[in-house]
Amino acid sequence: METIRNYLETMFSSLPHTPEVLRAKNELWQMMEDKYNELRNEGISDNEAVGTVISEFGNLDELSEDLGIHSVVTHTTPINSRKVSLEECKQYLKARASFGFKIALGVLLCIISPIGATLTDGFSSSIYEAFGACFLIICVAAAVVLFVSSPIIMHRYDFLKQEPCTIDFSTTHYINDQKERYRPTYALLLTIGIVLCILSFLPAAILDTLNLKLGRLSIDNISGTLLFIFVAIGVFMIVLTSMINSSYDTLLKLNDATTVGGNFVSTQHPEKQYISKTAATIMSVYWTTVTCIYLSISFLTFDWHLTWIIWPIASVIHAVLNSTLKK
Amino acid sequence: MNSISSDVIRGYNDTMILYLLMQRPSYGYEISKQIKQLTQEKYIIKETTLYSAFTRMEKNGYIESFSSDEEGSGKRRTYYRITESGKNFYKEKCREWILTKEVVEHFILKEEPYGNN
Repeated sequence: METIRNYLETMFSSLPHTPEVLRAKNELWQMMEDKYNELRNEGISDNEAVGTVISEFGNLDELSEDLGIHSVVTHTTPINSRKVSLEECKQYLKARASFGFKIALGVLLCIISPIGATLTDGFSSSIYEAFGACFLIICVAAAVVLFVSSPIIMHRYDFLKQEPCTIDFSTTHYINDQKERYRPTYALLLTIGIVLCILSFLPAAILDTLNLKLGRLSIDNISGTLLFIFVAIGVFMIVLTSMINSSYDTLLKLNDATTVGGNFVSTQHPEKQYISKTAATIMSVYWTTVTCIYLSISFLTFDWHLTWIIWPIASVIHAVLNSTLKK
Repeated sequence: MNSISSDVIRGYNDTMILYLLMQRPSYGYEISKQIKQLTQEKYIIKETTLYSAFTRMEKNGYIESFSSDEEGSGKRRTYYRITESGKNFYKEKCREWILTKEVVEHFILKEEPYGNN
């Protein structure tokens, strides 16, 4: 029911608020509500009933003459935009998920590539050294293969960025629904990933206090290796889940406010509008610059116990800039 | 192609609605439901088409709208009833259809009336 109401609101959102338009909206709502209720009483599922009502709604163009809104209706019809079907969207989401998995795997391989070397560090035999080097090269090579090959599959979907595309209302609704369903998984994976990265020093700290030795492996070997593995798994989770999550937004951003399907993204997370292009550029590189400054000063002076003060200062400056540069 | 093109049927939406309103005053969804039932679901009128027909015919004086409570539920609805000039218009449309049907009929192949094209 909510969906039907949203649909009607979106259809009418670009129309002027004249008495004729309001009356048409109310009458159409009455008919849609009646039809929905009757379908539901016949035992038809909510989804199906919503689908039937929306597919039998018709086209607002038909009303344009009666409502004196002809100019508005024709004006807002998007020009030659490519319609992306639900099936295409599903394929795209699937492709993005497998693409994300491959890239995340590549990153994981890069991070764990030195563990062969760290594990055998300090061993006198040259066989072990060769093993470490081989492991590194194989990992990096595999990662490069993944990085180079996987984007090729995604080229099929370049049109999403290059052409004006629209998705219809039910597709938008489906994707938004999928995104909502993915949200808990996204939050969980992201949290675990970040926690793993933070905790990567933990095994080293614990092992150091235990002071044990496993055969020829020293504590340094094990703790160094564990650090890489922790970070690798953490980063893998973060990369994978962020890529999947962003694929929903890519599709949802296709529509803008003037299209019938409605734009779920821009109303929920309105993009920040700055007073000028320069201001937008400054704001987009702000945090990277701060990080650079922080790291440079810290490494030059080695006063890590003092340099953290940059962060609170930076965030205060950010807040001030944000309020002055925003429209 | 077994569905009716909306261009062809457009001129006769009014006839269908007026026919139903001649029997008793009615409201939007009831009319669309009756059209669906009477045509054995061969024609489903779109909500916008129906509303557009209502406003057009009301402007021309063929029908009148009034607000009324539905029996039982107490929900307020807009009902439509046919006027005298609406009845005349209906009769005129009927005559027009009989003529149209007669004219077009001359050009329809009889051997294979429901060909599988």
